[in-house]
Amino acid sequence: MENTKSNERRQSRFLAFFTGSTFKALLPFLGLVLIVVGMNILTGGKLLTPKRIRLLLSQVYYPAIVATGVFFIMTLGSIDFTEGSTLGVASIVISVISTRLDSLGALAIPLAILGGILTGAAIGAFNGFVHVKFKLPSFIVTICTMYLFRGVCAYLTTETAVPASSAIKALDEDWIKITVTLAVLAIAFFLFQFTRIGTDVKAVGSGETAARFSGVRTNRVKFLAFVAAGALTGLAAFVNVIKVGSITSTAGNQLETQILISLVLGGLPITGGAKVRFSNIIVGTLMYTVLNNGLVMLGFESATQQLIKGLVFLLFVALTIDRKALKVIK
Amino acid sequence: MKNQVQLAKGGAKEKKTLLVASHIDKRFGMTHAVNDVSLTVDAGEIRALIGENGSGKSTFCQMLCGIYTIGAGEFTLEGQKLRIRNQVEANNAGISIIVQEMGTLSGLTVAENIFLGHEDPFVSHGVKNSRAMNREAQRLLDQYGFGRIKAASMIDQYNFEDRKLIEIVKGTYMKPKILVIDETTTALSQNGRLELYKIMDAVRADGRSVIFISHDLGEVLSHADTVSVLRDGEYIDTVRSGDVTEDDLKRLMVGREIGSAYYRTDYGAPISDEVVLSVRDVAVPGEIHGISFDLHRGEILGFGGLSECGMHEVGKAIFGASWDRTGQVALADGTRINDIPTAISHSIAYASKDRDNESIILNESIRNNVALPSLEELASHGLLNGRKLTRFADQHAKQMQTKMQNVKQFVSDLSGGNKQKVVLARWLGKNSDILVLDSPTRGIDVKVKQAIYALMEELKEKGKSIIMISEEIPELLGMSDRIFILKDGRINGEFLRSPELNEEDLIAKMV
Repeated sequence: MENTKSNERRQSRFLAFFTGSTFKALLPFLGLVLIVVGMNILTGGKLLTPKRIRLLLSQVYYPAIVATGVFFIMTLGSIDFTEGSTLGVASIVISVISTRLDSLGALAIPLAILGGILTGAAIGAFNGFVHVKFKLPSFIVTICTMYLFRGVCAYLTTETAVPASSAIKALDEDWIKITVTLAVLAIAFFLFQFTRIGTDVKAVGSGETAARFSGVRTNRVKFLAFVAAGALTGLAAFVNVIKVGSITSTAGNQLETQILISLVLGGLPITGGAKVRFSNIIVGTLMYTVLNNGLVMLGFESATQQLIKGLVFLLFVALTIDRKALKVIK
Repeated sequence: MKNQVQLAKGGAKEKKTLLVASHIDKRFGMTHAVNDVSLTVDAGEIRALIGENGSGKSTFCQMLCGIYTIGAGEFTLEGQKLRIRNQVEANNAGISIIVQEMGTLSGLTVAENIFLGHEDPFVSHGVKNSRAMNREAQRLLDQYGFGRIKAASMIDQYNFEDRKLIEIVKGTYMKPKILVIDETTTALSQNGRLELYKIMDAVRADGRSVIFISHDLGEVLSHADTVSVLRDGEYIDTVRSGDVTEDDLKRLMVGREIGSAYYRTDYGAPISDEVVLSVRDVAVPGEIHGISFDLHRGEILGFGGLSECGMHEVGKAIFGASWDRTGQVALADGTRINDIPTAISHSIAYASKDRDNESIILNESIRNNVALPSLEELASHGLLNGRKLTRFADQHAKQMQTKMQNVKQFVSDLSGGNKQKVVLARWLGKNSDILVLDSPTRGIDVKVKQAIYALMEELKEKGKSIIMISEEIPELLGMSDRIFILKDGRINGEFLRSPELNEEDLIAKMV
């Protein structure tokens, strides 16, 4: 009698663990381990070889930088669909400036990087301004501007692909990309964890009206998040340019969905708010990259890959979403 | 004349109970909309149901009619327990409702609206016979004297009043045992009202009953036999309309709290001359107009009125939270308050009536909720220290005796009273000098109320000034040094603290 009761209790505690918040917080880490180990076994140990790992990391850098900016936007409970087109436009700006070596001299490369960042920031500022000023949901605004800037990108690359200078391509070194990525993550982590930026952003995501009544300048916070995300995408464009060397109209294609999926795989609740963790960025980006590479290595066709990615994404949203906080994305 | 004769006959008969509501209860989230209401309605009776906005009368009726599910308790109609899940089932059980808002569906014909959910008699082998339906609907319309309304026309051709008349036909043609009329008369002109009263009388004459919700107390007294009063979701009393006056009804609606032991007991202490906040010609379009007053050091200034009088907007305007406010709100040193961050950094605190949306962030920890307005003070060189925040929040939440596991707990887990303690804890932590408290004890039990009143007295003694906006008259009388009564967005009366001041004095300025 006693035994059954304690058994029941243990069982209910066992169940509570799987439906509880601790499990939800651990799920992304478990998922990452599972995907890495699983893919390694399926590919017969080919995933965890030094060469493969280096290749994997080379695909992590620029998505990680972009995801860091989008992380702040999604913490607000907003969403941004313009990363891909922003990356494309910023990449073109960087490439063009980098080829003006004769007129700009040694300044060409720093100016190219700065140009990329400013281009991204300007696009972000445009998104943020329209979102805040006209009180339009970011969802709608960025879907529209995504088409707008994708159009700009296509227009600039109609005749021919835009090549970057060989000087900038010579910067395609692992240590440069690692340094840039780590610096971005470190600074963002610091701002998120130890300044009121993090507290404000989470407060807006958890309850915008109440945050406003608590003295948070909600409009400014939202605007600046979009500017920051744009600027970071501009910086990511630099990492993209040194890697690919020449920009076509498809630059950054589908990047927005990749980032969205990555962050959600990393455990970021799609509603944003107080339950986001900075680790969501890193875990999510790694998971997506391993999943993506694994599927390629296993020889799936791209249609099948998309199908599997879609299912995994759906599963993770269903498992991690905070239904209590569920509302339309701002 | 004929009706009266029948009524006399009905009155002579033994009273027969038609409907019994026992322990009906309904919550919407934290709001206790209907709180354990029990009442009975006799056959052949017109029963008015009155109460202030939000007293639960509509919710109660909508549960009876299957629009809302019943939270707890049960309805018994003619001795049979009602088991209804929607409006159509309610109609079949003999209960129909004419709702407050538009109750007809656009894009359908008049006839289709009248027989919505009861199309079966006109359907054979799955095919609807529109002509038969139109004919029957037209017959009903003619019979009610609304012959100018054409059954086959689209309902969109008719104005709000005609659509109400169509709804009345829809609600009554099948001769329901109970007809609920939810504030319909406001939508009707005098003629429309007379039609409705005729129908009500006919229902009564037939030995059936009407439940009649109205804010027009004159209409209630002249057309209802009995009046039941609800207040804050609770059943207060049922009286015979012949035995009471409008004033009696008002008093029952607005309410009289029993026991005032927890209010202030001091009288006659002078208010300081030192003005801490001056408000001049403040207006918010459509809400408040020409509001001017001074708030003094150590003063508790009460604001009262009916729920739509604009008093809640006054609080928001002072805090800088209204977008379209005009006029001037200034501190003693001349600082203008035009936005929330300025208000907060100049020591103004605000607790909203809409606690869950405006006062606290539900899906956030107690820690961050308490610390949020004080982040500037808590940061050193722009850096936040998590442990310092936790200590700060813990100290003030404990000062308010908040029931919690620890400050990392989310506010959404707390009860209404404890949420309000978190709200007050954050402003205690901020050490604000001017506190604007809108309905500080709304939905809060007696014990926490007592704690809040004690805190207000303590703050007053420390020289803090409080603006208390309240819908509860006893609270205004018990706590305020001075009371402003608002009506239609303007200050309609000013009262000084006095033991002689009573509820009727304030009510007289409200209505």
